[in-house]
Amino acid sequence: MSQIMIKDRIPREELLDSGHLACPGCGAALAMRLVLKGLGDRTIVALPACCWSIIAGPYPQTSLRVPLYHTAFETGASVAAGIKAALVARGDTETTVMAWAGDGGTFDIGLQALSGAAERNDDFLYVCYDNEAYMNTGIQRSSATPWGAWTTTTPAEHPESRPKKDILAILAAHRIPYAASATVAYPDDLIAKVRKAKGIRGTRFLHILAPCPPGWKSNDEESIALARMAVQCRVFPLLEVEDGERWRFSRAPGPAEPVAPYLARQGRFRHLTEAQVARIQSDVDARWKALERRVASS
Amino acid sequence: MKKVMIGNHAVSWGVQLARAEVIAAYPITPQTQIVEELSEMCADGRLRAQFLKVESEHSAMAACVGASATGARAFTATSSQGLLLMHEMLHWAGLGRLPIVMADINRAVAPGWSIWTDQNDTLAQRDTGWIQLYCETNQEVLDTTVQAFRLAETVDLPVMIVLDAFFLSHTSEPVDIPAAAEVDAFLPRRTARFKLDVDDPRAFGALTTPAVYMEIRLRQQEAMDQARGVFRDVDQAWGRQFGRRYGAIECYRTEGAETVLVTSGTITSTARHVVNERRERGEPVGLVKIKMFRPFPTALLREALAGIPRVAVLDRNISPGHSGIFAEELRAALYDLPSGRRPRIDGFIVGLGGRDVTPAVIAECLDRAPEAAVVAAAGREPRRARAATREDVWVGVKP
Amino acid sequence: MSDRTPGTDIAHGVPPVAVSSTSTRDNLTGSWKYIRPAYRDRVAPCNQGCPVGIDIEGAMNLVRDGRIEEARDLVLRENPLPAVTGRVCYHPCEGACHRGGFDGAVAIHAVERMLGDLALEAPPSLPAPRTRHADVAIVGAGPAGLACAYHLVRLGYGVTVYEAEGEPGGILRYGIPEYRLPKRVLEGEVERLRALGVDFRCGVRIGADITAGELDRHAAVFLATGAHRPRRLGIAGEDARGVRDGLDFLREVNRGGRPVLGERVVVVGGGNTAMDCARTAARFGADVTVLYRRGRADMPAHRDEVEDALHEGVRLIQFSAPVAVRTAVAPQGREPLESLESMFDGGDEPRLEPRAIGLTCVRMAPGEPDASGRRRPEPVAGSEAFLPADTVLTALGEEADLSFLPDDVRHGDGTLPVNPLAGTSRAAWFAGGDLIEQPHTVAFAIGSGKRAALGIDRYLRMRDGEIGDGSDLSALRYGPEGNLSATRWTDSDPVRRASPVNEVVGFDQLNLAHFERVPRHPDRMAEPAERRHSFAESNRGLAREVALAEAHRCFNCGVCNACELCLIYCPDVAIARRDGGGFEIAYEYCKGCGVCAAECPRGAITMVREGS
Repeated sequence: MSQIMIKDRIPREELLDSGHLACPGCGAALAMRLVLKGLGDRTIVALPACCWSIIAGPYPQTSLRVPLYHTAFETGASVAAGIKAALVARGDTETTVMAWAGDGGTFDIGLQALSGAAERNDDFLYVCYDNEAYMNTGIQRSSATPWGAWTTTTPAEHPESRPKKDILAILAAHRIPYAASATVAYPDDLIAKVRKAKGIRGTRFLHILAPCPPGWKSNDEESIALARMAVQCRVFPLLEVEDGERWRFSRAPGPAEPVAPYLARQGRFRHLTEAQVARIQSDVDARWKALERRVASS
Repeated sequence: MKKVMIGNHAVSWGVQLARAEVIAAYPITPQTQIVEELSEMCADGRLRAQFLKVESEHSAMAACVGASATGARAFTATSSQGLLLMHEMLHWAGLGRLPIVMADINRAVAPGWSIWTDQNDTLAQRDTGWIQLYCETNQEVLDTTVQAFRLAETVDLPVMIVLDAFFLSHTSEPVDIPAAAEVDAFLPRRTARFKLDVDDPRAFGALTTPAVYMEIRLRQQEAMDQARGVFRDVDQAWGRQFGRRYGAIECYRTEGAETVLVTSGTITSTARHVVNERRERGEPVGLVKIKMFRPFPTALLREALAGIPRVAVLDRNISPGHSGIFAEELRAALYDLPSGRRPRIDGFIVGLGGRDVTPAVIAECLDRAPEAAVVAAAGREPRRARAATREDVWVGVKP
Repeated sequence: MSDRTPGTDIAHGVPPVAVSSTSTRDNLTGSWKYIRPAYRDRVAPCNQGCPVGIDIEGAMNLVRDGRIEEARDLVLRENPLPAVTGRVCYHPCEGACHRGGFDGAVAIHAVERMLGDLALEAPPSLPAPRTRHADVAIVGAGPAGLACAYHLVRLGYGVTVYEAEGEPGGILRYGIPEYRLPKRVLEGEVERLRALGVDFRCGVRIGADITAGELDRHAAVFLATGAHRPRRLGIAGEDARGVRDGLDFLREVNRGGRPVLGERVVVVGGGNTAMDCARTAARFGADVTVLYRRGRADMPAHRDEVEDALHEGVRLIQFSAPVAVRTAVAPQGREPLESLESMFDGGDEPRLEPRAIGLTCVRMAPGEPDASGRRRPEPVAGSEAFLPADTVLTALGEEADLSFLPDDVRHGDGTLPVNPLAGTSRAAWFAGGDLIEQPHTVAFAIGSGKRAALGIDRYLRMRDGEIGDGSDLSALRYGPEGNLSATRWTDSDPVRRASPVNEVVGFDQLNLAHFERVPRHPDRMAEPAERRHSFAESNRGLAREVALAEAHRCFNCGVCNACELCLIYCPDVAIARRDGGGFEIAYEYCKGCGVCAAECPRGAITMVREGS
């Protein structure tokens, strides 16, 4: 097969409604749509503060056709744990509980609650849709912001000076049964991971790169292309980790593409010098090598 | 069945009788024994509940929010710093109209570190939309715990049961434990009026614009108003079934009193003793115990205190820069009584950080008029006349 | 339009908590956009590149869906001879194929061949219903004539084909060697035409057996007599025995003859006829050399033909041109011996029968570019050399002999000017194939025959007052430069198309990220050693299942194939399947992000300005 035909692997059920308030080309909106396709309608969503607090629609609306609980910024994991506990207490062991948080709510303010739940192996799926900054509040840096990126709190003269936190490794270190990364560019891979996660009990973690046109200063129509390029140039490897031990690439890694074209299509990296781009490239290469060793040794 | 138990365990037994379904808690002195006992109960099957041993009080309340929003009966317990950490989520429970029940052991807040009792932790949560019930005895603790669930689930508001650190939490008293079947009749399994339900998918807590936010607040306020009457009914029902009732306030020997002490928590027991002594000496002294702080039992207090010449409020708390909080609330509640019926209200700051409130301290509150001294320390002259500012008297403090 | 019932317990207009009762579908977010996507099928470059004018992309799409009979029929709508063209067409479609810029053009010819062979296996066609009273005469049963006859008979006309030779086929029968086009394949295709109702009158030569004037008994005439007058070398000794027109040589072989060639054969020329001559001669055991005055890259012959010839042992001498045929005299009826060369060369002995013994050649060097863009070869002084040959075959191209034409049919020297619908200066007369100015290939001939058929249909309908003069030819083409489509002419496209626009999708409008690299499937070729001794078909095409796999490589440029990526990637859930196929965009929700158009693998979605 020449074209990679995926339509037969994408459930037709739509659990996201139109009219939601995501920006045009929003990776996070698409991520929700795809993830819910994988989970089905027996799902309850815990939603801490993030872009999705807006996307979901104001009272009295909702854009989801599954129950949704809006909650405080740092409580995605803990509210989800409580929902699950209540379901179990009431004899419902089938409904999937999903915490749906941005990178700020996951990497930063929600990390403690997430770590606690993961350590307890509370039974829910935690999805972090990562747009690499506090986009809803107007593009402030988070610990998911990559080195060199402009944000409103890391201006171009002093761009982000620390590497992105390795959230997948942090979660894997909790030895949860399943942790994986995915992007909206590969819906079949994403949904396969969601379904796999759905079938596992305990804490499951899914890290989804979700491009943000206003925050990345990229064109609306390029969101999918950017997510794809991030994988192809190895900035965002697609991985699965089982029990914190067995690491593997979930797509056979193809030949590496350079990072420069990926960076060039995003205004947030426009200020970078050639030397800075080269540094990012060498960081990516080094991380990839380390990852290969990890995969090989597990 | 009667059993000698500490106040903390009285909470645990109350929770067990209430058949809580989800418990999420984090240890903190002096609350820890509540959840230790509940752990035992869950482990040996006396209580069939999901017990989440969360990593913080914030997560404890968040988990209770999630559980309660899903229709389960949820419980947690905390104290002091833990309660302060929960603060954000207390609002979530309050405005989210979630009938969570929580026991808080009143403990002073740091720094410096204190594990002993005062009420600043709970009173700092005054505006979070929680019903607050302060307890005097271990029996009252157990009874109130069960009542709290029925109250909470009737008005869809969370309820905080408040106990003094050590004086109740760690003090053993005989407690009559009602039969489980009778409690079941009093408190059936929770039926949520709205909840997270895959068969009726709804979103809770979405963005509320200025066009609707006030109305939702008004609904909360109306529920608080309703809670006064509901508590009376619940308390009466409890009394009919188990022979004990407490009231939102309790008037003790106030008939014909010219001075009435106003207390809450365990100070009340000491104050009863002082009142009895004074009454035996023929002094017209009475006592009003405030059990329910939120919603504030304004009408009951006006009825109880109108026409009393002098009210002495004992506050085991302080709103820095203002006054004792019970005194202030009472002043506001009685302010518009006709001038002839409006009592003089003297506020006294006592027992902060677990300092003993002895009969002598209470006696001093009865005997020393505030205009005599702002700081009623031995042998000291008043710093300032009462007319200048309305300040409470700090009793028992060093000069 | 709330789709959820409000919560219970409403007071002050609100429930006790902020609980949803309606959907975001109340928000018509479509008002945000300033551009909107539109499904606009465009034209695949192969379709435009096909001189016949076949909906190649459409056929590939059907094959991929497993609808092989439908694919066959789609091809047959435009091309009467797919089994022939699948073998002998030099597939300019593949040169246009965008997959060439990715991992190798789709082997369209092989898929066409598979479909063509499938058509040969099909039960005989029923006669086409005769719906038109007019009869049309077609002169010449080569590919152009066959094509015209086919389309006319399908359009309901009575058709009579006059063919000078004994059997229909023209160049297909008499020019192209058996190892490239087995006669049985041609016969199968002709049989289909006969079954449809085409009346063949073979052995009838215009000017000899019937006059041009007699043709006028027919309502219209299509002239497709082909080009038969060979271009000459124009050098000394050209008329010697052993020097022969290549096409004439091929004709003899195709009639079953076994010409005597001697051991060494030199073919002069670089076109496909030259390659046919060389490879045919090689099959007679000769040692064959092709002499070409330019470089290999400039050879007009198709690359595959050149390669096949070289594999079969044919030698190529580039940058070399003959300046004289050297001859010797041999007793009549005997072959000249090379050893006699010195005896006769330059001597004054009477040459009773001069016979070629080789060519004097000169080396050529590339000079200034000429009109074709190729560098004009210039002789290198003093580079003369002798190339021995027992037979010299010339393959320098042919011109049409137009002497039979009535005076009022305007014509030039060897070509006949025609309008875009193949009309000549005489109203009812049309012309095509090698008579007109276009490349002398089978595909162009078939394409011209179709144009003529449409032109004749239009002419006759206009004459009969059925239609006016208003038809827009550009809409009938596959792309601005493609050939006319019979399907579009009859407005009977079986393929559903979304608001088609007649522009060819560009390579940069594809999204190649959605394709995996799959190498082109090479044709199955007989071993060169085997080929040298056999006129059996040297290229066996692709096994059917391989041809099907090859069709899967098609990008389906410009045409929605319902891969659903647009729907899958839409962040706004604004694209839905439409009953009966295709997609519907909910413009009231679409925010105009353009993700669907950007991710469409094949450029079938266009972003257009709001309000335009």
